[in-house]
Amino acid sequence: MSARLLVTTVALCIGALLPGVVASQSPGDATTLPDYSRKGADTCIACHEDQSTLSVFRSKHGTPRDPASPFGHGQLQCESCHGPGDEHSGRVRRGQERPAVLAFGKQALLTIEKQNAYCVDCHAADVGFASHAGAHDMNSVSCADCHSSHAEHDPVLQTATQAEVCFDCHQQQRTQSMKPYAHPVRQGKMDCGSCHNSHGQTTDLMLVRQTLNDTCFDCHAETRGPYLWEHAPVSEDCSNCHDPHGSNQPGMLSMRAPLLCQGCHSEDGHPSLPQDERGLPSGIPSQFLLGQSCLNCHSEVHGSNHPSGSKLMR
Amino acid sequence: MLQRVNNTLLVILIVIALPSAVLAQVDTSGWACELCPFEEGYQADYDAGATYVSDDEARFGHATGYDNKGAYANVAGNGSYTKGGYRLDWLFEDLGLSSRFAQLDGNVDGRFGFSIGYREQPQRQFSSTRTVFTGAAGELALPPGWVSAGTTSSFPQLATALRPVNIESDRQILDLGADWKANKKIRVFAEFQRQNRDGVKISGGAGFTQASLLAKFIDYETDRIDTGIQYADGAATLALNWYGSFFENRNSSLAWQTPFATAPGAVRLQKATAPGSDFQQLSLSGSYRWNTWDTVLAFSLASGQGKQTDALLPYTSNPNIATSVLPVTAMDARVDTVNHALTITSRPLPQGRVVLSYRYDERDNRTQVLSWNRIIADIFDAGETEQNTPYSFERSRFGISGELRVWRDIRLSGGYNRRILKRDYQEVAEQTVDAGWAQARWRPLDWLDLRIKGGTDERDIDRYDETVAVSLGQNPLLRKYNLAYRFRSYGEFSAAITPTDSRWSIGTSVLLADDRFTKSLLGMTDSEELRVTLDLNYAISQRASAYFMAGFEETDALQLGSEQFSSWDWKAKHEDSFEHLGFGVHWRSENEKIDVHADYNRGSGETTINMDSLSGSASRLPDLESTLDTLRASIAYRWNDRLQATLDFRFERFELSDWALVEPDTMATVLTLGAQPYDYDVWALGIGIRYSFGNPNISIPN
Repeated sequence: MSARLLVTTVALCIGALLPGVVASQSPGDATTLPDYSRKGADTCIACHEDQSTLSVFRSKHGTPRDPASPFGHGQLQCESCHGPGDEHSGRVRRGQERPAVLAFGKQALLTIEKQNAYCVDCHAADVGFASHAGAHDMNSVSCADCHSSHAEHDPVLQTATQAEVCFDCHQQQRTQSMKPYAHPVRQGKMDCGSCHNSHGQTTDLMLVRQTLNDTCFDCHAETRGPYLWEHAPVSEDCSNCHDPHGSNQPGMLSMRAPLLCQGCHSEDGHPSLPQDERGLPSGIPSQFLLGQSCLNCHSEVHGSNHPSGSKLMR
Repeated sequence: MLQRVNNTLLVILIVIALPSAVLAQVDTSGWACELCPFEEGYQADYDAGATYVSDDEARFGHATGYDNKGAYANVAGNGSYTKGGYRLDWLFEDLGLSSRFAQLDGNVDGRFGFSIGYREQPQRQFSSTRTVFTGAAGELALPPGWVSAGTTSSFPQLATALRPVNIESDRQILDLGADWKANKKIRVFAEFQRQNRDGVKISGGAGFTQASLLAKFIDYETDRIDTGIQYADGAATLALNWYGSFFENRNSSLAWQTPFATAPGAVRLQKATAPGSDFQQLSLSGSYRWNTWDTVLAFSLASGQGKQTDALLPYTSNPNIATSVLPVTAMDARVDTVNHALTITSRPLPQGRVVLSYRYDERDNRTQVLSWNRIIADIFDAGETEQNTPYSFERSRFGISGELRVWRDIRLSGGYNRRILKRDYQEVAEQTVDAGWAQARWRPLDWLDLRIKGGTDERDIDRYDETVAVSLGQNPLLRKYNLAYRFRSYGEFSAAITPTDSRWSIGTSVLLADDRFTKSLLGMTDSEELRVTLDLNYAISQRASAYFMAGFEETDALQLGSEQFSSWDWKAKHEDSFEHLGFGVHWRSENEKIDVHADYNRGSGETTINMDSLSGSASRLPDLESTLDTLRASIAYRWNDRLQATLDFRFERFELSDWALVEPDTMATVLTLGAQPYDYDVWALGIGIRYSFGNPNISIPN
């Protein structure tokens, strides 16, 4: 414990010193710059006057009183994100292709890392400390792949529409969300961000809390304990028994009980007996197979706080 | 070609000059933004409508709130108000339903912000359930005059005593948040959430050899607080956060009268339900980016503590059993947690990246170990004591991975990680997982992205301690599936075809995984998994599009058991499959007055369990099947810029076959709630209007 304390203390000190070290750094020093347009957004809007482009003025990006907004005082307006536009907005000869302006998404000329750098320049705090460590960064997902920066209401930031954006790539999870026992994602009442931090985390599976169990306990705190009598696999990992993206089995269990329970419980007596069709209503209806199966009696599977609850029946 | 090269050079120059670095060097004094359509005042869209639901069906109302036949009025809307530096945004949906949602966000000059949110989530499970019990909260009683018997079919009053009870609950979630940006680099925030959940759940109530399924009333309240301060600039981030979660169960015990004939004094049985608990965690996280090799270091340190001190119930509610005094009247249950993580990414080559990561999670259960008398099912004292086992573990993970662009269009990547888990009180004290993977990604054409990945994952254990297994009463030959030696191999392929100037795009993926538990004599020995997806999008015209999607999953597992408590004498093959098909169209008229959407989805699940026994009997349990069809279609007609009318139709068919759902008296020794498998067709038809206030369209100032 003392070694752990020492490591924690040293790491805390290093962390506390970081900002001072950072102050000496200055990223992106540039000497030669392309020209910016002469009139800023007025130049752009003269051509780009469609509603989908102009909707940026109803978004937080188009808020003039917010000093951090691209349209805040002294900011570079459209060119904050799209880069210097003088050449792009200048005259072109007949047949000449108009010089590109910085675009985002699949058609962009820039690498994804460089596209993202534009966003992170303002959104470093929103993106968090570990974006580089997440699967999205590793797989070259750009901010614009998920975010609609001009939209008044960015679909990926709305619970009702977020999953559809995620499912564009995570097709297996979309299939799982359609299973009969699943979190209410397909109904638009829960979003992927309830559990996952899409911007990257140092946690497994980019979970929003430190561990899988901590993430589940956010909404299922009744299973947290600590109990007097614990159920070992529960304390370790909820996914030992549950498929959180959806399941064919009630309770999002990964297998039908009693087989799920018999994967660990083989005590002499009823846990070791095969439960087959002889236990169906057409035979001798078995209390180990029908109803809640093992949970007919061992109902407190997440743990029991009863002095006589060692078998999780109380 | 030359022009493209020029464009590329231009954007590279642009990137060199990130805005933050050049802001001070650009003269924006002449950038009047006269054409910018900044809006002040009020702008909002509101929807009002009514929906008629064709039938009573709890499951149709799951998450949606449409659980009863009849008409529902509904209101939704979104809008904003801007004045000077003040901005308010609001969004609300389904206000007339039990799935209502409302959110209000505000900020001043982008520096002070607040949010208030409220949402409800209805969970609807069964409306076909019936119970003989009366009462609520923590005390369930039998109807007056109940005559107990040894088996369910012998209850004389059963048929008349059963009354309907819905298995359903509702969550009400209130969110409050505030944040302050001191400057571009520093942000302070605080978020509070109160989550209430009340309703009825199914819970088993065990006697000695009989049990009753109870409709348990739940009343949970969880408060959650996240607060912290964050620092972020171009190179570094640092955040100090505190997280607290406080759970209260207002029904922390459940007592019920057993309907079965029982031993004297064991008529009223009682169990504990989820105890109240709290968990607090302090964390520090940050990152730092060096220009050298574009190296980023990120770390996270967290320390937490969970507590549970609810008063304990007595050993038994049976007054005829003399028990000793409890060793404590309340557990001082405590869990300390530590979580550390460190990740370093670096690009020593322009074409490559290396990632090193380390993570450590610890759950140290410091709950006192005490001796407890063993009272069996409120019937008798076993005359022995047992000790509680507070489980702790330490889990560490070290990983290294790299990516290299070996050719313009080919990226190779691979990685290795080792996970070590140490635990106590269980058969396996230490296990090590070594995992390796390799991936190739090839973009031979701008519109074609191919990815293939494969890997193995070997979970080895120091030893499976059979003496622990025996002390727990387990067959020493069993290897629990989460503790057993396992070798996993898998392969994945995906392709994305997105032609730039084409009307269609395709995405597909295949995953194959194989788990072998080769050292398990009993328990799970094999598991195989297959997942396939296909997406097709087609732009029929500029105003119409269509999509088709399909997914298939199958997981097969083989499990060995032993009835004779020796080598395996029975086995079960559990095959779980699921298919999803979906397609839809969207069409908008040329004058943009009519907008049509239609989406259809079908999800079909099937679970097959084949049992074989060395004694010669073989049987296949009836398939567990589910089929869910959903159709949603809507037509919107825009009268003018402000007014729009909508017609919305949804249909759902759910058919379930599940042999576990049986009548209350099907089993002799378990009185169930008689839940019926889902089998319904429900449709809902809604009409509504949307009206826009403020400026419906954004117009450029003259």
